[in-house]
Amino acid sequence: MSLPENTKMVQKSSTPWKWIRIVLPVVLLLAICTVAAAYFPKGARTAKVMGPAAMRTNVVRPASATATDPGPRPLPANAGGFLSKLSANEVQIEPSITTEFNRVHDVVVTSPTDGGLGPRFNSNSCASCHAYPAVGGSSPPSNPLFSVYNLKGASNTMPFFITTSGPILEARFINQPGTNIPDGNVHQNFTIKGRSDASGCNISQPDFNTASSQGNLVLRQVTPTYGAGLVEVIRNIDIVNNMNSNTSTKKTLGITGHPNHSGNDGSIQRFGWKSQIRSTLIAAAQQMNVEMGVTNETFPNEIDQTSGCVLNPVPETVTNFAPGILTEMFPSDPERAEYFTQWMAPPTPAASTSSTSNGKTQFTNVGCVYCHTTSFTTPPTSRPALGGIKINLYSDLIVHHMGPGLADGLAQGEAGPDEFRTSPLWGIGQRLFFMHDGRTTDIVSAIEDHFSLGNSTYPASEANQSVTNFNNLSSKNQQDLVNFLRSL
Amino acid sequence: MRKIEETQVQGTSGSATRRHIPYYLAVALLAAASVMALMSKPPVVHGSALATDPGPRPLPAAAGQFYSNLSSNQKSIENRLTQIFTEVNFVAGGPLVKTVGLGPRFNSNSCSSCHAYPAVGGSSPPNNPLFAIYQLQGATNTMPYFITTTGPVIVARFPLKSDGVTPDGSVHQMFTISNRSDAPGCTTMTQPDFNGAQSSNNIIFRQVTPTYGAGLIELIQESDILSNMNANGALKLSLGITGHPNYSDDDGTINRFGWKAQQKSLIYFSGEAYTVEEGVSDEAFPSENDESIASCLPPFPVSAGTNKTKGVPDDRNDTGEAPKLPVNFPGDLERFALFMRFLAPPTPVAPTSSTSNGLTQFQNVGCNMCHQISFTTPSSSIAALSKVKASLYSDLLVHHMGPGLADNVPQGQAAGDEFRTAPLWGVGQRYFFLHDGRTTDIVSAIEDHFSSGNSTFGNSEANTVINNFNALSQQNQQDLVNFLRSL
Repeated sequence: MSLPENTKMVQKSSTPWKWIRIVLPVVLLLAICTVAAAYFPKGARTAKVMGPAAMRTNVVRPASATATDPGPRPLPANAGGFLSKLSANEVQIEPSITTEFNRVHDVVVTSPTDGGLGPRFNSNSCASCHAYPAVGGSSPPSNPLFSVYNLKGASNTMPFFITTSGPILEARFINQPGTNIPDGNVHQNFTIKGRSDASGCNISQPDFNTASSQGNLVLRQVTPTYGAGLVEVIRNIDIVNNMNSNTSTKKTLGITGHPNHSGNDGSIQRFGWKSQIRSTLIAAAQQMNVEMGVTNETFPNEIDQTSGCVLNPVPETVTNFAPGILTEMFPSDPERAEYFTQWMAPPTPAASTSSTSNGKTQFTNVGCVYCHTTSFTTPPTSRPALGGIKINLYSDLIVHHMGPGLADGLAQGEAGPDEFRTSPLWGIGQRLFFMHDGRTTDIVSAIEDHFSLGNSTYPASEANQSVTNFNNLSSKNQQDLVNFLRSL
Repeated sequence: MRKIEETQVQGTSGSATRRHIPYYLAVALLAAASVMALMSKPPVVHGSALATDPGPRPLPAAAGQFYSNLSSNQKSIENRLTQIFTEVNFVAGGPLVKTVGLGPRFNSNSCSSCHAYPAVGGSSPPNNPLFAIYQLQGATNTMPYFITTTGPVIVARFPLKSDGVTPDGSVHQMFTISNRSDAPGCTTMTQPDFNGAQSSNNIIFRQVTPTYGAGLIELIQESDILSNMNANGALKLSLGITGHPNYSDDDGTINRFGWKAQQKSLIYFSGEAYTVEEGVSDEAFPSENDESIASCLPPFPVSAGTNKTKGVPDDRNDTGEAPKLPVNFPGDLERFALFMRFLAPPTPVAPTSSTSNGLTQFQNVGCNMCHQISFTTPSSSIAALSKVKASLYSDLLVHHMGPGLADNVPQGQAAGDEFRTAPLWGVGQRYFFLHDGRTTDIVSAIEDHFSSGNSTFGNSEANTVINNFNALSQQNQQDLVNFLRSL
């Protein structure tokens, strides 16, 4: 949707007269440093068209923010509980699905629910990465991979991008190494080589250093799962109606955005940094194979089938048909991980203060709210605990152009290489790492990172005007907005 | 390519006049160049085949049985799996809790209505089942022009959205639940404008694929698919055959199901087909397939005590609702997946001298360079599927099939003219062939693999193989056809 608009702008501004008519006022206004902010998005978009070097000299970054990040709210966790209205029977299986989410997987399968790690993996349990502020969340302050990568004698070296106090990141390659063939898949950090339960397996880790030096390495961090069961049942039509509301304001702000649809059924996907996954079931099954290497009934093929490394019959977790077992023992692991994430309640925000109330007003005033949609209401659901609930997720669940500063060069479905899903903000009060690659722990930097001028490859970030508006707020209003975010 | 060049020549000569002799020279040169260009291409010997299709082998079905070596625990739930695959879904008020959730848009009301022949789990039956479904319960649907009483069950996709520019490609269901007695209040949802789509040349069709042996296909190792792809490189090059996998995003493994190999696995396929074909939302795809009219969405105001869907997803696992046997546990999509996973491949008939020679000719002309005869599954946790040689006659890759078959719907890494090599097991009893079910004649189906490129799409990768087939003696052609009908 935004691309045709950009093209139009190309054609319009390509004649010299229009060029001068548009740019001259911009230059003048910038020079007097008054209401220049209002022209930033247009200037940035023109920059893409006219040649970045020429135009970017005419556009300066907005004034820097004056607010400071109070930091994550301390524990106890404001999240990690199950939905309160689950039925007694559903409550009965909470321990079983929690056990599943916490299960540490070794290589050898000894029962239908354990084992299956590798041959390639990022970690050995869901909960190791979905950890903070409680099980189901995102990266904890101390990186858990250091206690995972050499387990049982594994001969892995730690990739350069994983640090003891940094976020958990997984790597993707833009192109298949050494080629121009598009890749985009996850390349797992570790292998089972050297583990005492994987003798005979001899595969090496990907060459992350070379990939990095060639600009071929993309990093993505862990997303929290709280409230996911509510997000997956939001009606598509509500997402579309929200997208089509406030259009004149959004146009002024330079905000467009569009859904990332699922291929055959045409519904709107909601999970992952680019909205590339439709549901908790598919997410659980895919993650189980991609992150841990555990093959399952939805993704039954090992990611690496090098001889000597396929050590279990596939799929490694299957529906358990043994008679006489408890009902909750029946399904295979992905279904249990599905229920765990599906039944997690959203994070609870802190009680509002005068500062956070004003912050919420400023959040709306500067325009954050036009992508970070405050709430949706779930429709009637067959699982009553999930239906008719107003959820304050602060996301429109669609993808937006975020400029070259955030672009990671990977297209997924209808999400372009510079587009990302509006991240839900619920729970960020206790979040430690921000943005898709966990590049900052400072929520003010995270706001500023939404600003990015266009270049010859990508258009400007759709957030430029809102970030500019934020930076133009008084120190007090900026701080209140930041305090509001940290109250979520 | 040929057509375009010829057209250009004619156009140029038509515009020439006597006073412009240089034009004649130019035209002559152009014509000469065109003729030379044509002659430099490989000779096209594509002629009519001499074989005739003996037709589908009669019943009893050579497919539809579960594996005989399933474990006793697996066997104990066979009936329940069949029951769920054959259940007829209602909008609300159905006879069982699990038989509600149809619509608001749908193509049919049960899996087995379309996956029907030669036995449950298969493909289109000789008599189109949709005529018994489209107006059930008072529904006011009209039958789309492309569905005929003896034609295949096909679903419609629109390559482009109504603006004529934006890619669409998704399924547009034939029917709605408007005015059904079990959908009280839903009266205004209209069927898509198929006639309009036809007149703007924006409609394509796909028919039902059989599910026998799908559990084996799901397990075939990626490394085996790739090493088969890379085998016989010189021969494939000489035949013009390339082909590549359609990879699944994120995990990077190879998708195997659907006409364009766009589906990863049976659970994924079940989840998607349930909501796309029947409108029953499920745990993998929890949205109703049209949310635009509130009165056509659950819950419906049916009388108390009647079975109804309370909301999305229409179908889900009964997670401990009441003390139940484990076999009551999984939702429909898991049961569909188990049903298909446990269905054995079709059994071919015993070879005769004709079919044996047919298999030899099948390999001689090069069919097997795409229709790879067999793969062996790896060691599996499901014993019946472990280390089984699956004679599916497919490489599970997608190939360019030329403008004659191209449907202009790209899916994943499969382009608008690419299709998965359709597995041939079971074609002996198949009624309708090719992705859109365009023919019932297996000889025509072979010939339809030939297609010269145009300005949009390249040649079909099968062209040389079809030429080779047509160059066979009548006897060898017939033996090859007989071999196919023995599968």
